[in-house]
Amino acid sequence: MFRHAIRRVLWSIPTLLATSLVLFFVTTLAPGPADPLPRFLNLNPRDVRSLAQRAISHVAAADESQDAGKRELRRLGGAALPYVLPHLEVLAPDARRRVAMALSPLAERMRLPAGADLAEPGAAVLFWTRFWDDRALDFSSVAVSRAVTRLVEHGTDLRENDLIVLDTLALPAVIRAMANTTDPRTLARLTEIASHATERGSPLSAEANAEEARRAVGDWSEWWFVNSTDFGALNGADRVLAVITETRYGRWLKRLASGQLGVSAIDGEPITEKLRARAPITLLLCALAMFVSFALAVPIGAVGAWWRGRAFDVASSAVMFILYATPTFAVAEVLRRLTTTDAFGEARLVFPVCALAAGSLAMLSRWQRTAMLDIARQEFVRTARAKGMPIWRVLVVHALRNALMPMVTVAGLHLPALLGGAIVVEEVFGLRGAGFETMRAIELHDGAWLTAVLVAAAVAVTLGLVASDVACSALDPRVKEVLGTRQERQAL
Amino acid sequence: MTDEPLSQETPQPNAALDLTRRKGSIAPPAPRGSVGRAARAAGPYVTMARIALGLLARSRFARAGASVLGVIAFFAVCADLLARSPTQVSADVLVPPLTAGHLLGTDALGRDLFSRVIHGARTALGLGLAGAMVLVALGVAIGALAGFVGGMVDSIVTRAVEALSAIPTLLLVLVVGATVAHPTAATLIWTIALTRWTELARLVRAEVLLVLGSDYVTAARALGASPSRLLRRHVLPNAVGPAIVAAAFGVASIILAEAAVDFLRVGPPDTMASWGEALGEARGHAGAWWLIVFPGTALLATLLSLNLIGEAARDALDPRLRMESPGSTLKV
Repeated sequence: MFRHAIRRVLWSIPTLLATSLVLFFVTTLAPGPADPLPRFLNLNPRDVRSLAQRAISHVAAADESQDAGKRELRRLGGAALPYVLPHLEVLAPDARRRVAMALSPLAERMRLPAGADLAEPGAAVLFWTRFWDDRALDFSSVAVSRAVTRLVEHGTDLRENDLIVLDTLALPAVIRAMANTTDPRTLARLTEIASHATERGSPLSAEANAEEARRAVGDWSEWWFVNSTDFGALNGADRVLAVITETRYGRWLKRLASGQLGVSAIDGEPITEKLRARAPITLLLCALAMFVSFALAVPIGAVGAWWRGRAFDVASSAVMFILYATPTFAVAEVLRRLTTTDAFGEARLVFPVCALAAGSLAMLSRWQRTAMLDIARQEFVRTARAKGMPIWRVLVVHALRNALMPMVTVAGLHLPALLGGAIVVEEVFGLRGAGFETMRAIELHDGAWLTAVLVAAAVAVTLGLVASDVACSALDPRVKEVLGTRQERQAL
Repeated sequence: MTDEPLSQETPQPNAALDLTRRKGSIAPPAPRGSVGRAARAAGPYVTMARIALGLLARSRFARAGASVLGVIAFFAVCADLLARSPTQVSADVLVPPLTAGHLLGTDALGRDLFSRVIHGARTALGLGLAGAMVLVALGVAIGALAGFVGGMVDSIVTRAVEALSAIPTLLLVLVVGATVAHPTAATLIWTIALTRWTELARLVRAEVLLVLGSDYVTAARALGASPSRLLRRHVLPNAVGPAIVAAAFGVASIILAEAAVDFLRVGPPDTMASWGEALGEARGHAGAWWLIVFPGTALLATLLSLNLIGEAARDALDPRLRMESPGSTLKV
């Protein structure tokens, strides 16, 4: 039993990967801005080293892309210096001067006391050579993280200047520190450094409230998620892994796995927060609908099958058949028209749950009836009746207990339909759950939310299927024998 | 589709030796009850498909469904003759039914509801049939391939089936409609066909595995039948039954999805009349009951009749229920 459960859970990993491939394809159908990354395999993952080298070579050769090279050097900033300054010596004197001059805007940004040195090429080369001789040690990763820690602890202008000198090299530690602090003064200093180094956005003011601070931190971590590889070097195992991870699919998967779902295009709210606020309503709706439909479907189906062909069976079968063919949105629309007063308090879920349960009820009761028909003609049932047992006891204890088995599987299988129905029901009743939000996201083309919702739904359904399979194997020892029995059972 | 494997019954040199051919004269004694009668009525060759079709024709639910569907199909085909253009607007806005010139009234733009309902039949059945054809072709091909080749192919297909069945169809259709640059009706049916072949493929695969393990296939192999002959003569005819069922339910689910998408007003732009769209319009106009009743009835009648046919076909094919259930009750 336990082994089976473990195996089933492990088998769901390749399934989830396959699902993710489908969803990746679907969510990247949109013709967005051209993405330089390859889809699945990146044989030349770029990092700060390769970017800096390419920029230097353009500037040194003074070719037609040298302006782009200068801009790139300025963008890469301090993170590129460990790969630029040691290289100055190997360049030809002309090229060396050109590169040194291209770095002058950077010196200004780092607030270096260079003064007139930077106006003249020869002096600029000398300045940068000396700078690297003096300060190379400050540009090691240990020194950087120590500097950031000191800033967080003491928060003085002097410490801030230390980090301004390090420029973009401090970004990894700064962004990490942002996520770990809630103090508005510290956050203000950290965002000040980040936006100074990247020349992007405006720093948070020290008087910002918690909401603004959360937004700003979310914005920075989103930016860092997209751009982090431009400011770090890939070494060793990272470099090998980057062949897979530095691709569009790899990034997409990493984004989902790390919960870094981006921000909504509608209101700038982080998707994770939004999902946390909306999903419980949808889940509650689905859970209640499932409970209600099971509570009604099991007796209706069982009784119908037991007294097959009687009036109750014919009537309930006919009703269920019609209900089965009725679209959920039609049921929801009719029910909404029946509610004259506006929804209030806890009761506002009653009609949505009924609308959603109606479809499930039709499906489940028909399954229950089939399962019961199957059991009712088994020999142990006939034996039990022949022994003279009370009919209700045979029905409930002998037959229904066994006929409930397939229903466990069906419970998992009808989850996708339930989630799809929840979208319609929430939209019709104006319930502000995940489905309602999805409709707004579709209207306003909020790709981040749609991706998140699709993946969340697929994961929820997969987990549901695994749970129902494990439950099946716990209840019925015969299921253990073969994995993938669900397919075979379905086939019959 | 169903006659295709049967029409290849040309006399062959080794016909006398071919044990897989079951002529009426050497067929095993026909089983008792309706199956036997249906099989005899169906003709000399007792095949799964013949039995199924015979039983299907005998089921009064299937016949009822087929007649309703026939009427709707008639409306769909002759839509242009029976009604004016569904997109033509007029000054008579939200006119109730049975007024002059508008049998079923008009909608908020003054479009004639009768012609919208009639032309909606064309949209629904057209899209449904087109999608179901793709879906059935994919399902039979992939399922037969997985069962016949086995091994790696089989595990990949099994994973794909599991992966696809975890995605809620309606959500997927909505998201695809929102992400592609120019969504059309074709986007919708391709989305459904490319993700919903899984149930049929699963059934066909199971059927193929069952057939491949049977004695008559072993005998055919021993007689030197080639894999392609096995596939044509023994495997594919067994896939006909599930394919009929899947086709009926496939048409129904595509019509349903299309209606839901149009109801939510995210469907393709409204050059085509659609029942779902008319129902969606009713949401804004509380008093206009005719906007719900007529398109709703048309939709429900279509879905009901398709379900009736599908269910009857499934009952005809499911050996357990076929033997057991009396023909007097509604069957599951």
